[in-house]
Amino acid sequence: MSWTLLRATIHQRRTSLFWFSFGLVLYAWLMTWFWPQMGGDKYAELIESYPPELLQLFGGTEVPMASLGGYFQMEYLGLMWMLIVASALIIYAIKAFAGEIGAGTMEFTLAQPVSRVRLAVTRVIAMVGYVVVLAIASFVPIMIFGPRYDIELSAKTYLLLMSFGGLFMLAIGGIAMLLSSMFRDGGKPGSIAAGILVLFWIADLVANASEAAEFFEPVNLVSYWQPGKIINDGTVAAEAWWIYAAVALVTLVGSVVVFSRRDVA
Amino acid sequence: MDVISTRSLTKFYGKTRGVEDLSMRVPEGAVYGYLGPNGSGKTTTIRCLLGMLKPTSGEAMLFGQPVALDGSAVRARIGYVAGEVRLYDRETGGWHLDYVAGFRGGHGRLEKDLLERFEFDPSKRVRELSKGNKQKLALILGMAHDPDLLILDEPTSGLDPLNQEAVYSVIDERVAEGRTVFLSSHVLSEVERVCERVGIIRLGHLVAEESVKELLGKRLRQVQVTFAQPTAPSFLAGLPGVDNVLAVSETVFTARARGDAVDALLKHLATTRVADLSIQQASLEDVFLEFYRERDASPDAEAEREESR
Repeated sequence: MSWTLLRATIHQRRTSLFWFSFGLVLYAWLMTWFWPQMGGDKYAELIESYPPELLQLFGGTEVPMASLGGYFQMEYLGLMWMLIVASALIIYAIKAFAGEIGAGTMEFTLAQPVSRVRLAVTRVIAMVGYVVVLAIASFVPIMIFGPRYDIELSAKTYLLLMSFGGLFMLAIGGIAMLLSSMFRDGGKPGSIAAGILVLFWIADLVANASEAAEFFEPVNLVSYWQPGKIINDGTVAAEAWWIYAAVALVTLVGSVVVFSRRDVA
Repeated sequence: MDVISTRSLTKFYGKTRGVEDLSMRVPEGAVYGYLGPNGSGKTTTIRCLLGMLKPTSGEAMLFGQPVALDGSAVRARIGYVAGEVRLYDRETGGWHLDYVAGFRGGHGRLEKDLLERFEFDPSKRVRELSKGNKQKLALILGMAHDPDLLILDEPTSGLDPLNQEAVYSVIDERVAEGRTVFLSSHVLSEVERVCERVGIIRLGHLVAEESVKELLGKRLRQVQVTFAQPTAPSFLAGLPGVDNVLAVSETVFTARARGDAVDALLKHLATTRVADLSIQQASLEDVFLEFYRERDASPDAEAEREESR
């Protein structure tokens, strides 16, 4: 790892990281604040008035919608949270390799005495740091403000949300990093990574609506993301950990290997 | 020892040729000019030397070691200024100097001197800099660490004559201290001013390696003579090395003189009364065209064309 490159990477991403984190903190606080007004019976009534297909669009799947977990999954941690963190990570990833090659700044950096493997590993480490900040911004506001609004979750639940959510983000970021290491400008890898996530989301939707489409589930990252279940039961399926960890590891190592062997100008 | 050497270096981008079968040597302490028109393969060669492109075949060596895509140690001895300066637009010149210093273990011993000589203000963001000032920053970043090998791709592009001269004097000083310079350029006067030897690249092939003196022999000048009295075109037409004689009027003629023919032309003009005389250096394009015409007419070029059909 190169400290110079790590400092420079963090320095250059600080503005986008700040705004994404600020957005997550604000969103998390708003959803926490709304819970006493929307929770319980009122929320159940509201949810029952929606068509089931609409609920499925927002990730309402395995938990009762009127519960705290169902509320957070529907209103925050289901679709909207995924959109925010996926945008942040895809933007980071496309700039990490392809964006810099396209802009010509990779040529400047690689004219310095730094190996490609060190450069790529540093960019991966910076992304891990990015994920940690996003995870803190996503869940710590609930932990801080929650008790004021009748939201009492155990430390284990928060730890599970942050670690499993972080691993989910690493898997998304890993896919984007691998794509970024293959192209020479940011447009294509960004579009493909976003397309894959939309495909996962649609596949999840189809799988929820139709048993015939369940074959999508084993490879679908979106299907394993069930924050409502973590909040209600404090559990995560073992295979979900393995799937996310495997995808993150393979894609991130793959991005380092591909970048170290390709033309960079 | 050769600081740069390539052996049958070939790089194709898919079916498009970058360079092909390129073999060259640049000895330690040399100032080597690398000449060629746009798209001839100059930048591809440099990028292969720096390990940014993976050669399709052949080999590139720096300081006697094969260039590795993942190698970094050898780049500590190289200063590179890219042809098209691409830096981080939102950062300042000072940020870039610190960035490079971080990789190279401290600020270069020439940094302060270069900042003063180029009168460069490092506090401005790159996006606020003019093309010339971006070029100055790239030069400072490439040269501040006093590298053993300077690879310069069109280094004076966008600079005013004063700063061009400053670049040339820095290069002269580096060479006097035993450094090696590899200079890619379109500008013949620059090559003439700085380099001892040149390689000419055409369609990805190194078509000639010559000393600057040999290259100057191929150089053309555009001559316009105004005679004091009406003169016949044949007065100029028969001179060796002088061609394209055109009569603008009965007394005014233009002609093209090759290399050493200028001396003979002046002696010939001294035998009559001349009212005015203008001798202009031909453009590099003219020299290239002349050079390439020679090459195109050669049996090798014909064979190459046949092969490409």
